[in-house]
Amino acid sequence: MIQVFLLMSLRPYIALCFALHLAHGLTAISLAANEVTPAQRDFFEKKIRPALVEHCFKCHASDSEKIGGKLLLDSPEALLKGGESGPPLIAGNPKESLLIASLSHQEDLAMPPKKPLPEPVIADFIQWVEMGAPDPREPGTLLSEDYAGRDYEDGALWALEPVESPMLPPTDTSDWPHSDIDRFTFSAMESKGLRPTLDAPPEMLLRRLFFDLTGLPPAPSDLDLFLASYLLDPDKAVISLVDELLASPHFGEQWGRHWLDVARYAESNGNDGLSRNPTFPHAWRYRDYVIDAFNEDMPYDRFLTEQLAGDLLPHASPEARDRQLVATGFLALGAKPAKAMNDNFAMDVVADQIEVIGNGLLGISIACARCHDHKSDPISAKDYYAMAGFLTSSNTMWGLAGNEGLTAPPTDLHVLESAPKSFPPINFVETVVLLQSNTGKPKPIPAPPWPKGTPLAMGVKEGKKIGDCRMNIKGESKKLGAPVPRGFPESISGPSAISIPGDKSGREELAQWITHPDNPLTSRVMVNRIWQHLFGHGIVRTPNDFGVYGERPSHPELLDYLANSFVENDWSMKQLIREIVLSRTYQLSSTPRSSVEAAHSENQSMTFRKRRRLAAEPLRDSILKVSGQLDTRPGEGSLIRHRDILVNLGGDLHEPSNHRSIYLCYLRGAMPSEIAAFDLPGFLKSEGKRTISTIPGQALFLYNHDLVIEQSRILAKLLLSGDQEGDEERIGQLYERTLLRAPDAEELYRAREFVTLSSDDLHSKEAAWAALTQALFMTNEFRYIE
Amino acid sequence: MTTFSRRDLLQKSAFGFGSLAFSAIANESNVIPHLRARAKRVIFLCMSGGPAQLDTFDYKPQTGKKPHPGSVYEFSQHGKSGLSISELMPETAKHADKICLLNGMHADTGIHAQSFLQLHTGDRLRERPSLGSWINYGLGSENQNLPGFISLNTSKPSVYSSSFLPSIHNGTPIGVNGENMNEASINNIQSGHLPLSVKRRQLDFAQFMNHNHLSARPHDAKLESVIESMELGFKMQMTAPELLDLSTESKATLEHYRVGQQGGPVGTCKSSDFGRQCLLARRFAEAGVRFIEVNHGSWDQHKNHRRDLEANCAATDAPIGALLEDLDQRGLLEDTLVVWGGEFGRPGLTPGNGKNETGHNAKGFSFWLAGGGVKGGHVHGATDGTGARAVDGKVHFRDLHATILHLMGLPANDLKFQHAGREHRLTGPEGGKVAHEIFA
Repeated sequence: MIQVFLLMSLRPYIALCFALHLAHGLTAISLAANEVTPAQRDFFEKKIRPALVEHCFKCHASDSEKIGGKLLLDSPEALLKGGESGPPLIAGNPKESLLIASLSHQEDLAMPPKKPLPEPVIADFIQWVEMGAPDPREPGTLLSEDYAGRDYEDGALWALEPVESPMLPPTDTSDWPHSDIDRFTFSAMESKGLRPTLDAPPEMLLRRLFFDLTGLPPAPSDLDLFLASYLLDPDKAVISLVDELLASPHFGEQWGRHWLDVARYAESNGNDGLSRNPTFPHAWRYRDYVIDAFNEDMPYDRFLTEQLAGDLLPHASPEARDRQLVATGFLALGAKPAKAMNDNFAMDVVADQIEVIGNGLLGISIACARCHDHKSDPISAKDYYAMAGFLTSSNTMWGLAGNEGLTAPPTDLHVLESAPKSFPPINFVETVVLLQSNTGKPKPIPAPPWPKGTPLAMGVKEGKKIGDCRMNIKGESKKLGAPVPRGFPESISGPSAISIPGDKSGREELAQWITHPDNPLTSRVMVNRIWQHLFGHGIVRTPNDFGVYGERPSHPELLDYLANSFVENDWSMKQLIREIVLSRTYQLSSTPRSSVEAAHSENQSMTFRKRRRLAAEPLRDSILKVSGQLDTRPGEGSLIRHRDILVNLGGDLHEPSNHRSIYLCYLRGAMPSEIAAFDLPGFLKSEGKRTISTIPGQALFLYNHDLVIEQSRILAKLLLSGDQEGDEERIGQLYERTLLRAPDAEELYRAREFVTLSSDDLHSKEAAWAALTQALFMTNEFRYIE
Repeated sequence: MTTFSRRDLLQKSAFGFGSLAFSAIANESNVIPHLRARAKRVIFLCMSGGPAQLDTFDYKPQTGKKPHPGSVYEFSQHGKSGLSISELMPETAKHADKICLLNGMHADTGIHAQSFLQLHTGDRLRERPSLGSWINYGLGSENQNLPGFISLNTSKPSVYSSSFLPSIHNGTPIGVNGENMNEASINNIQSGHLPLSVKRRQLDFAQFMNHNHLSARPHDAKLESVIESMELGFKMQMTAPELLDLSTESKATLEHYRVGQQGGPVGTCKSSDFGRQCLLARRFAEAGVRFIEVNHGSWDQHKNHRRDLEANCAATDAPIGALLEDLDQRGLLEDTLVVWGGEFGRPGLTPGNGKNETGHNAKGFSFWLAGGGVKGGHVHGATDGTGARAVDGKVHFRDLHATILHLMGLPANDLKFQHAGREHRLTGPEGGKVAHEIFA
């Protein structure tokens, strides 16, 4: 349904000013203040108006049956404002005016669609635009500018409304809630006649906390210590465990990994559409930056500001300068289509950036308004190009792109000051080289523009040309509409008084707007992500889409309570995580009270804890930790840090490593086989929630991958090395290490039987024990968190 | 809300695991009506990069005095039907009477990645379920020991993704475009560290643990599906290596398919061992895999049109001819739909002007189908006199998808899946038109 509103009867002069205001001050139009002269009126009435009526009003008048491209031409203000493709004319400049281009049937925008107008009529329009497009008509109708006119379901735009300060539900009915969070969840359960299940036993809770906060399983000794203090004082034991885990360096590795998904982090560009995939040799610095930020509990608003505008912020030290520059890698890590034959390349880069800002930071897709107004959300193409201006005014620096100009032109990089120099190993020779297409001989590798060993980082900096971005009609960079002043989506409530300096890209202001406490999306989106990682699903189950097609929050008040609490606590992520994991809701058992509760609307009410499968990284890390092989030190740099090459030419670039998975080399389209089988995203766009698939390829990994086979063998060797012990003790040890519990009688019996039979078949005790160990790695008990 | 567990359903089902599992029950709200199926499986010969239709299957001779873009290779008529096929495809041309040409194809964009994605999933921007996943979702698996969707020499996961459809319908990749297809296999399909008997005992032990674990957690359907997929994975270990091992094929067959005979890359034409891919496709088809995609590229021969086009045709023509003949001889062609085509086509060269460079053309290009209930020796649709745009019998990707689904017995525009608050279908909001004219 389209609604229109009538302007009150004003003089054309005033009406035009109003129209300009509505159209975000389109500066290119200078006509407004001029009265129409009698000669101009005459010209319009004789030449222009009849042509408009005859050829255009079937689709572009307020009483048209169907309005084409949201464009009206039947009033002066509508004509100035334009439709989906932006304002149709730039007064005085027919060459830049869309109206003239489309009347002349240049490419897709050809209007009228079937047959071009006669040449003389087009000439009249050109002349009219040249004289400033004087329009003597009375004010008429405009299509509604805001989206009130769209038929939105009640509450569909909930996320764009300010965060509220919900009242805490009363607690007089029960002493079950321990925390404010519990009061919200409990009252929601009560309203549906549901009750929470039992509290998790300490063993379950310990394992859950270890995985959730550090991504690693506890060791049997951790369990002993915890149980001892739990017996004395359960609350105190849990609090001190949580604080200990939050302070662990592994916290940043676990939570940094979550963020890297949002940031679509990877160490290569991915297929450019022509099967070329250049490495990003310096991307790992951004990875380390993220891990450090989580470990240091950098306030989230600061964290985002550095990623969007770190290069523009003041800095107290060379280290701080470097850190902030590295942070802007966020905007440069995207996957780009090839530059060759692609007129839209520069805007493809911007599209990726808008996508990660929109879906990643704001939980709303802005990126799909590139070609037309968003079909469902109140985001217009103008909003898109208002945002695009921040990025077109900046230089995105991805580096040398594998020295292959057809995939992307080489760019500058940030040169770091405090980071140590980084030289390739002595005798290092690059073996992956491009061949000349005509001779088939290797192309020489061009010398990089920086002195050898210079520490470098991807990122953004201010562009040479600062300014607003012009609309790309239907997303085509060759078809330019009017410039759109840099700014923020109109429909999102929030801070309004942020103005963009004319001589700057405006990224700093963009960061201000995004991290402003009044922005209704930023805090909600992040608290929801944190909730999701702790519960398996968010309060909003579509973490990257809070728009019309996204799901509604199951607990809207709780979401707003958490968002407020997050902002009030100086955007501290650790504080928020701590508050959530200390709630009774988090500490519930994974066993529902009854099948009724189990079936209740996918546990939307959170009466029990959802069972979650270990993701790729914690699964690999767990296997390594249990076998005693995990190298818990941070991995240094990256396998490809000295290799500016095309991944697709290099075969398997991965090498075995015992570091945590986050330090493996995440090459788009060529992920390490140790984790690739388990639903890694493509990292082509911001990923809010990984798929959890169940495919036979995962079973095959557990049966046949070297990692599993080798670690099973190592653990078996370890079990057999204490030669005093009998099989029963060994089985006990194996269960303790892998599953954190003793085997029951049946398990013990069958495990002994397994080892005996297999030792005979394999003529090797070690191989038999390794096979048993591997069987335990295959179990759901090992692979799931309760 | 139903309270049946998957296991209950499986036990109650007369079809057992293979045909029922993961299709309708995974999304109970969707009841999929079935039509009469003309084909049981699809082999998609995916020609990435935009094959030049005017020099392969869409003959555009010069007309009038002034040279215009058109075919620059010789064409001649083949078979009883007299189908015009280029001299670059002599082996394929021998099967002209099996081939149904679609010369009025058109698509939305000349951007490779987007059009390639749209060809596979119907959407050019977002990750959506692939054609092969939709078909398996709609029909269920024909074979309990293998995945229903295999993608050979594939590119990025988004083209064989099951996306929001149940993950069992995800394509299983074998080799990635640019890799050595002579050896490409299913990841982790084998290991020599244990004999099969011990592997079985090992899995039995793990499944004993898993069943006990499950019985203490009776409401968790996901744990059950892990248990099932462990079994499928185990069976694949036994079935797939055998299927991937061509040593049981006769020398004549290997020769016929030209297995391992393609030399190194020439220009844009990559070494894809297309012969091995085609022979594997036949073996998977026989084994009951519903959707098999084989890939060759790149047909994106911009700068050196003639050299690269000749190389691409040389690499694929004989294996395709062998595949069609082999399927026919084994009686498989009648219910196997073979599909040939890429993400778009190319404008023609103009004879005599010395140019040897072509770009992209999404406004008019060619596909062909064979077997699986389509007319042989038939031409559907046409481009204009220079091959610049489709003018007659136009078939968009969504129409092609609709037609393929229809041939498989699935109602194209009613095969839907509820996801993220709305219904999705392969043919998108516009829906696809089934090209009934081409049905035999």
